[in-house]
Amino acid sequence: MVVAYVLVKANTGEADRLKRSIAELEGIDRVSIVAGDVDLIAKLSVDSPAEVKEIAADAIQGIDGVESTQTYIAME
Amino acid sequence: MEFIIVGGGRVGLRTARVLAEEDHGVTVVEPNASALEELSNAPFDVVEGDGSHEVVLEEAGVAEADALGALSGDLNVNFVTCMIGKAHGCRTVMRIDEDYREGIYKQYASEVDEVIHPERLGAIAAKNALIGGNIRAVADIAQSLQVVELEVTNDSPTRGYTLSEIALPADSRLLAFGKEEGAMALPDPDASLELGDRLVVLADFDALDDVRRIIVGSAADTLANASTGGS
Repeated sequence: MVVAYVLVKANTGEADRLKRSIAELEGIDRVSIVAGDVDLIAKLSVDSPAEVKEIAADAIQGIDGVESTQTYIAME
Repeated sequence: MEFIIVGGGRVGLRTARVLAEEDHGVTVVEPNASALEELSNAPFDVVEGDGSHEVVLEEAGVAEADALGALSGDLNVNFVTCMIGKAHGCRTVMRIDEDYREGIYKQYASEVDEVIHPERLGAIAAKNALIGGNIRAVADIAQSLQVVELEVTNDSPTRGYTLSEIALPADSRLLAFGKEEGAMALPDPDASLELGDRLVVLADFDALDDVRRIIVGSAADTLANASTGGS
């Protein structure tokens, strides 16, 4: 099991829509809209590091209104 | 009134000076205060420290402050500052760094009473200056709602008509009217539109172009797109 946190910076004020779109993705445990220099943080649990890349780089970045993402894989 | 300004950069210091000039009590909180020459004999109090720490804000007098401006360049600091300020009963104003975040903070950040985006305010002023006298943005009411002042020109298709005869778009309202030399007043439906008269209209961004065409005339068309980039 791999746990990762994906920090999402948006370029739209539609935080609600982004939150819903991210939450619908397979492997996402939880998404929060946050204050600060990123706009949302998603926690995901998947079986392999490759799936982290699929969700973070492909699926989340593919959502309209997502400017960039930063992914942190948990070590414990 | 008593104010705390967190952030001793350009925005924070200018705000502090303006408030101090109007005889309000102002305390600026800035982590690098001793390194900043502008702060050495400023007309307000200075507390050196991180404004996202409660002890620092207590030292700055958050318990007695009426309002707190979180005006640093760091969003995380600004938000935490507002949380602490709100817990102490202050009105809170938070500076943000990008346009699109305005809606997010207005919707989700109950600790923040008002959001300001300095670059956007500067852009409105610059836009007004560039466009010139015929159209002037007075205020952004919401993300897609703006109050504008328009001046009747030689090209105005409605010149010579009375206010009651003008059909403005559905998503707009005439708020005030002033003759060329006179003061602004509530609109009198029988007043007629003449060169140089001014109208203040509340309009949705989508309706602004039509309002402009009706009041100012065709010469404004080429400028219309440049002036609706506020959303």
